[in-house]
Amino acid sequence: MPGSGSLDPDLAQQAIEYCYQQDWSDGLPLVPVSQPLLDRFLAQTSRGPQEIIGSLEATGRDCTVELAAINAAMAGCQPEYFPVVLAALEALMAERAARGGGWQSTSGPAPLIVVNGPVRGELGFNAAGGVFGPGFRPNATVARSIGLIVRNVFGVKPHVLEQATQGLPGRWSICIAENEEESPWEPLSAEGGQPAGASAVSATLLRTCEFVDNRHTQDPQQLLWDFADTISRTGALIFRDTSCGVVFCPEHAQLLAAAGFTKAGVRDWLIEHCGRTGAELRRAGKDGVSENNVRFAADTAAVKGDGEAGGDGFSRILPSRQHVPIVVAGARNAAISMVVRVFGLWSGTAVGVETRARARAGRKG
Amino acid sequence: MPNAILDPTGGAGRVPAAAGPGQTGDLVLAPRRRGLTGAKVGLLVNTKQNADIFLEEVGKLLVERHGAAGILARTKAAFAQPAPECLLKELTTECDVVVTGIGDCGSCSASAVADGVALEGHGTPAAVICSDAFTGSADAIAGLRGAPGYQYATTPHPVAVLTPAQVRDRALTVLPDVVALLVDPR
Repeated sequence: MPGSGSLDPDLAQQAIEYCYQQDWSDGLPLVPVSQPLLDRFLAQTSRGPQEIIGSLEATGRDCTVELAAINAAMAGCQPEYFPVVLAALEALMAERAARGGGWQSTSGPAPLIVVNGPVRGELGFNAAGGVFGPGFRPNATVARSIGLIVRNVFGVKPHVLEQATQGLPGRWSICIAENEEESPWEPLSAEGGQPAGASAVSATLLRTCEFVDNRHTQDPQQLLWDFADTISRTGALIFRDTSCGVVFCPEHAQLLAAAGFTKAGVRDWLIEHCGRTGAELRRAGKDGVSENNVRFAADTAAVKGDGEAGGDGFSRILPSRQHVPIVVAGARNAAISMVVRVFGLWSGTAVGVETRARARAGRKG
Repeated sequence: MPNAILDPTGGAGRVPAAAGPGQTGDLVLAPRRRGLTGAKVGLLVNTKQNADIFLEEVGKLLVERHGAAGILARTKAAFAQPAPECLLKELTTECDVVVTGIGDCGSCSASAVADGVALEGHGTPAAVICSDAFTGSADAIAGLRGAPGYQYATTPHPVAVLTPAQVRDRALTVLPDVVALLVDPR
């Protein structure tokens, strides 16, 4: 890297402005990409530049390795991050919502990208304090790459095919590394089918993130009830059921583990206790459930088809363990965790990150 | 010579803007009947809240007031996606005209218009009904499907929260636009 005296900021500004004029930007400056930079990205993978790694049926657009690389470079990634971007995109394309109408949705969902394994340390992904950002180049630019791919490759832009009513803060910036070192449980990638110690990426779409600040109790039941309150709020309920995960801070996770809770045990507790009574659902106009499993106000609308009015009993809202993904991330300095509200349902698949050695071998072969 | 700045869209560039009214780009609309007397009407319901009541009422009014001969109602499983080819085939084989909707979300407005364009391509006149909050998405997908300026009917937003009686009123209000899309009396 030459010293700042030999760099030309005026030329750089012109190139950045050119990218804005092409309507390629998410609003922030882009790195203008040249062929030599693209070549450095492509050298990080054994996959061919024209290999298709994602498609959007709605717009009929395909994403090739080369287009993903250009967008990742524009997003500010270093070439070494590119295998992580490829794994993140592959993980997202395993989500039904991302292949379908998710990017166009009024809910404007955000990808949640979770990185596991040694690649976290090798590339400098943040797994600890401020894990939801900002401040860390790999976390920020890998997530942004996905946003630029959706915009530029799939052709889904705000106010046109992207119809988010309000969107959500951090839509293209949620890429976290799991704090495996301070987690009492197996990493998310192990649940997603990857071997222990492997670098892998998992991803799903989120409606939003909501904090649970409980530095108030050592009783695991009280702590879990605090989570259940946030998870069970009626505003987030659209359908009969929902999917909702938790990114536990190390302190909460360790408290629960010390009390004997495995990840599965936490899930089962939440499945059992999250939900609302018929009266609470009626108060919010969400007591009925249509034959399409959409909630509606049974008081004001006729019950249609096979739809049912809500009874007065307690309705659970988390149907299975798959609906409650659990990750551990953040600093151990306070008992603050994040409820992550899943849009659709996590596929349960983690995608391995190609190593440099494998990329070199693949290209030779 | 400096290096060129590479294009991240693969040359696809901007989503094409909608053309003016009456223009439909490359799409040749299906031939129109002079009226609906004796016509079999297909309803392609997309499962958005109230879409079933809305389309059933439109169908009923087309029979009662415009002499349509009957209704074939079908539901597509995934509102966010274009209807599968086999479903479109069935509708175009069995029906003279098709009404579809309600385009009442980001993805389903786009996919409803995509279905309308596909039905026209199969030779069957279609009337797509969208909420008026989603014309941006509807127009954009028409452009992507080679039919910029594709005409569809709109109903005021919102639709999902309406009572069944209010939905039936909406069906009555949009009926002339639906008929105008399906026939050419000249």
